[in-house]
Amino acid sequence: MAIKDYASYTAQELALDESFQQWVLRPEGGSRFWEQWRMVHPEKQADIQLAITLVRGIGFKSYTLDTAQQDRLWETLWEHIGEEEQHSSIKITATTKYTGYKSAWKYAAALLFGVAVSAGWMLLHNPQRAAPMQTLALRTAYGEKKDFYLPDSTMVTMNANTRLLYTATDTGRREVWLDGEAYFKVKHAQGQRPFSVHTYDNVSVAVLGTAFNINSMGKQVQVVLEEGNVRLDLGEASSNNNHELYLRPGEMLTYNKADGQYAKATVLTATYIAWKKGRLEMDNYNLADAAVFMEQVFGQHLVVSDKNLLLRKISGSMPIVYNADTMLMQLGKIFKVKVGRSGDDVWINGK
Amino acid sequence: MQVVTSRISLWERFQQGDREAFALLYREHVDDLYHYGMHFCADGERVKDCLQDLFQDLWQSREHLSANIRNIRYYLLSSLRRRLLRSLHRDRNWFSRPDMESFELECTLPREHQLINDESAAARIRDLQRALSGLTRRQREAIYLRFYQDLSYDEVAELMVMKIDSVYNTISKAIGALKKALLLPLFLLLLQYA
Repeated sequence: MAIKDYASYTAQELALDESFQQWVLRPEGGSRFWEQWRMVHPEKQADIQLAITLVRGIGFKSYTLDTAQQDRLWETLWEHIGEEEQHSSIKITATTKYTGYKSAWKYAAALLFGVAVSAGWMLLHNPQRAAPMQTLALRTAYGEKKDFYLPDSTMVTMNANTRLLYTATDTGRREVWLDGEAYFKVKHAQGQRPFSVHTYDNVSVAVLGTAFNINSMGKQVQVVLEEGNVRLDLGEASSNNNHELYLRPGEMLTYNKADGQYAKATVLTATYIAWKKGRLEMDNYNLADAAVFMEQVFGQHLVVSDKNLLLRKISGSMPIVYNADTMLMQLGKIFKVKVGRSGDDVWINGK
Repeated sequence: MQVVTSRISLWERFQQGDREAFALLYREHVDDLYHYGMHFCADGERVKDCLQDLFQDLWQSREHLSANIRNIRYYLLSSLRRRLLRSLHRDRNWFSRPDMESFELECTLPREHQLINDESAAARIRDLQRALSGLTRRQREAIYLRFYQDLSYDEVAELMVMKIDSVYNTISKAIGALKKALLLPLFLLLLQYA
């Protein structure tokens, strides 16, 4: 930024200055110049205030393309792209290239067996056309949370250390295998193509235009339904021991991986979905809950030395910082405990 | 700086044919582009058609586009603008319509001004509206691009094929009108509390 003699500027001149406007309109942009300048020029307070009011005063009528409209437009334009690419016979190969497919993982080999991966997924928009099966693998590392759009426009937010495999067949059946935690907002298309999510713990969710969260990270599988309808299939599909049940919005299913016991409960869905927006919602939250969180998101093992510390409970909400040390420090402050590290373990001690 | 780097790599991924990067680009920009289109011609179907063409062409020509586009938003806005103009030129009726609705400014006064409900304040706001509607369509568009779409003065001038001085003067006019509307009520307010 060229050095200008801002001290001699009037409010109107300040309001005209590009860098001043930027500071007012996009404070997240990060320049600290004006904050500092404001501090060293107390005599300019009134001018600065007026200039801010002027810049903020300029507004325009709002028009919004809501998500449903965005989705429709996106689908239409892909259909057109699909047609044109077919005509000009440009082959889209190996859809596994689709995204940050970083490393092979244990399940992929078995599931991909016999699956021919070839043409582009836009063909799926038209089931009558002969479209080969296609697959897509996604993963997130520890300390990482990511949003993706699946080829059918389903939005998925993956929590840390999560793997997801998506396949769609020529009949339009969409299936996802999930290991970890993810939030799905499923596109409900006219043809009602089935969409189901399987975990590796004998819990499957069949979906029709729905938003839900599923977590298979710990000893349990949790499915929380935010809106819409799902059918759950529990137990091994081939055995006689499988059950089918339905969830309504606001309900949660908890399935114990070890003994196959399960229960339904009514919950506050926002608490279970807060991670998607990068927040940790704490309702009667104790260090054991924090330990589960640190393990899931950062792969860090917390060791609590004094069992009495587990009795401390707190309620509230805080932003999740995707950095293990920062997060530990924040949790330490909230619970008023000391946090130390030895190797991969994190020690929690009373103060 | 980090933002810039990640944008560029998103662009690179898009150019290499990464559909996810393309989807992210679409989601990031489509709403703002629609907003611009609606202010440009207030015809939702036309705007959506142009947006569809824009993104289709973007994907199909991805390999031929410059690898170092410094501001994707600028690039998309100028492309949409060309498409809208081309589409509107084919439609003669459109140009005979009055253009008062386009890029209409909605200026807001701070809350303390809304407290003053007297005649003179209302008259001030009417004056403000009149002063702002005295700006031409091009002038309002320039103000819009700077304040709503976050283009720099340079970019606004380039996109609108205007001299940068004209951009500056236009914005100065709008701010001047706003200030005039602001100052008197503020003075009245001070009197009330004196």
